[in-house]
Amino acid sequence: MATAVVARPVARPQERARDEEVLVWPDLVFVEFISAMVFTLTIFLLSAIINAPLLDEANADVTPNPSKAPWYFLNLQELLLHMDKGLAGVIVPAVWLGLMAIFPYFDTDNEGQGVWFGTENAVKITVVSGIISFVGTWLLILWDNGNIAQYLNGWFGLSGGDSLRFLENARAFQSQLPWPEWSTHIPYLWFDLTLLDQPFHHLNFPAWLVEQAIPVAFMVGLPTIMVYVLWRVGWVRTRRDALLSIFTGFVVTMGVLTIVGTAFRSESEELVWPWQLKLSEGIPGQE
Amino acid sequence: MAVETPTKPTIADKIYDKMFHNYVWKSIFRTGYPNTPRNQMLVVATNVFLHLHPTRIHRTHVKITHTYCLGGLTFFMFLGLTVTGILLMFYYVPSVERAYLDIQNIETTVQFGQLMRNMHRWMAHAMVILVFLHMMRVFYTGAYKPPREFNWVVGVILLVLTFLLSFTGYLLPWDQLAFWAITVGTNIAGAAPVLGPKTKFWLLGGFEVGPDALIRFYTLHVIGLPLLAAIFMAVHFWRIRRDGGLARPL
Ligand code: HEM
Repeated sequence: MATAVVARPVARPQERARDEEVLVWPDLVFVEFISAMVFTLTIFLLSAIINAPLLDEANADVTPNPSKAPWYFLNLQELLLHMDKGLAGVIVPAVWLGLMAIFPYFDTDNEGQGVWFGTENAVKITVVSGIISFVGTWLLILWDNGNIAQYLNGWFGLSGGDSLRFLENARAFQSQLPWPEWSTHIPYLWFDLTLLDQPFHHLNFPAWLVEQAIPVAFMVGLPTIMVYVLWRVGWVRTRRDALLSIFTGFVVTMGVLTIVGTAFRSESEELVWPWQLKLSEGIPGQE
Repeated sequence: MAVETPTKPTIADKIYDKMFHNYVWKSIFRTGYPNTPRNQMLVVATNVFLHLHPTRIHRTHVKITHTYCLGGLTFFMFLGLTVTGILLMFYYVPSVERAYLDIQNIETTVQFGQLMRNMHRWMAHAMVILVFLHMMRVFYTGAYKPPREFNWVVGVILLVLTFLLSFTGYLLPWDQLAFWAITVGTNIAGAAPVLGPKTKFWLLGGFEVGPDALIRFYTLHVIGLPLLAAIFMAVHFWRIRRDGGLARPL
């Protein structure tokens, strides 16, 4: 990738053009005041109409089905269904937050700052990355849920027979392939390692493959391919462009995961249409 | 502007003068009602709340479509949550015996209690949504670029703090929704490799959600995290000023 070698000016506050400036009072203070009022009113009305939920008192013996995290964590809860829990719930968000925090140190070019989509291909990249991620995430969820295989079978009468069953979803790689006995307990080290009371003795290779390797390959590989293709097409030319694609992909993917987790996951995390959704016990009027 | 010719002050002028140019008013606000550019700048510079702002800003930044006020509204939600939160604290005791009953009481017997609870709840959701949208606006306007790199990092910390604030508050009603959502949530944290189980234990003060978890979440929710968030917000706002206001094209 060709990056121009230009000496960058040392970061410093921009110079001020007095004649381009307006007074904070009234121009900004009034805008702020009005938006604060609009919000106060909206929240007030909303609160007058809709009550905050309150179910039965907490009971450790009655597990609602489904049990769901707060909505903004349902993206992670959805991810959890498709891979190792620690990977989905902790490593992925932590790595993402870390990566996002260093965005500005990766893309240090001043071009296009301070305006919406200020660089040449910004809108194109954003829209296309958004669409790809939307469709891609849905396809992956459907595939891992076994729906794709079902559709192929039901709609086109396609059935790979038993020899292709391992392609049905990610975990079928583990359950449908004839793994040799030894592959499920490959020792890590020549001694038994225990870290903070947790054993690290053997690698279960098939499990590692479907719980960690395949998901990571998808999560790292697919965005890389997306950026690569957009680069080959000639749209992505700078680091900013690459970030636009990746960030948009992330936002859209998280959005899809949140929506699926919220509106499409029913009892026992079964994938259903929103109108077939069964809400948890204990919500008044839902039993 | 037309040339001003001196006219006799009307009744309205006199009342106006009495209201905004008297000794007490000036002792409080230092300037009269800010109706001249000079006073308008003075009021912004000398008022402790308004002086978060510079006295002048670039034309493009007051256009609503530049920021959609998203950062400001996030902050406004934080303030509103503080007010309604304090009111709720008068009635709520974070013990397993009382928490649920207290919430029921707030809803049924406390004057405007239901309204307070509703507002606190919906503002909390609004804040999570707004902070995310604010981040998107900052990203798509390329406002993290130099010299604002570090303020973006501060922002990421604020994003995490916002999620944690909301998450810790979620447990407090001590109903089935709260209990199981936090159970699911902390199980996610507990699944982290190596550090997971210890982290979960430390979060909950035990192996599962119980009285110790409630008091931990409560303390974090009402003082620990808000304090941290306030500190980082102060840094965030200060940095905006130090970095020369909002980003604009070179
Ligand atoms: C509690 C959370 C937050 C509050 C209260 C807050 C508040 C604000 C406010 C009031 C502004 C002024 C401009 C505007 O309203 O858009 C601003 C700007 C900014 N915020 Fe935030 N913010 C928060 C979270 C974040 C997050 C999550 C990020 C990014 C990850 C971020 C990054 C920035 C940056 C880089 C600027 C400068 C924008 C520019 O120069 O145009 N902030 N913030």
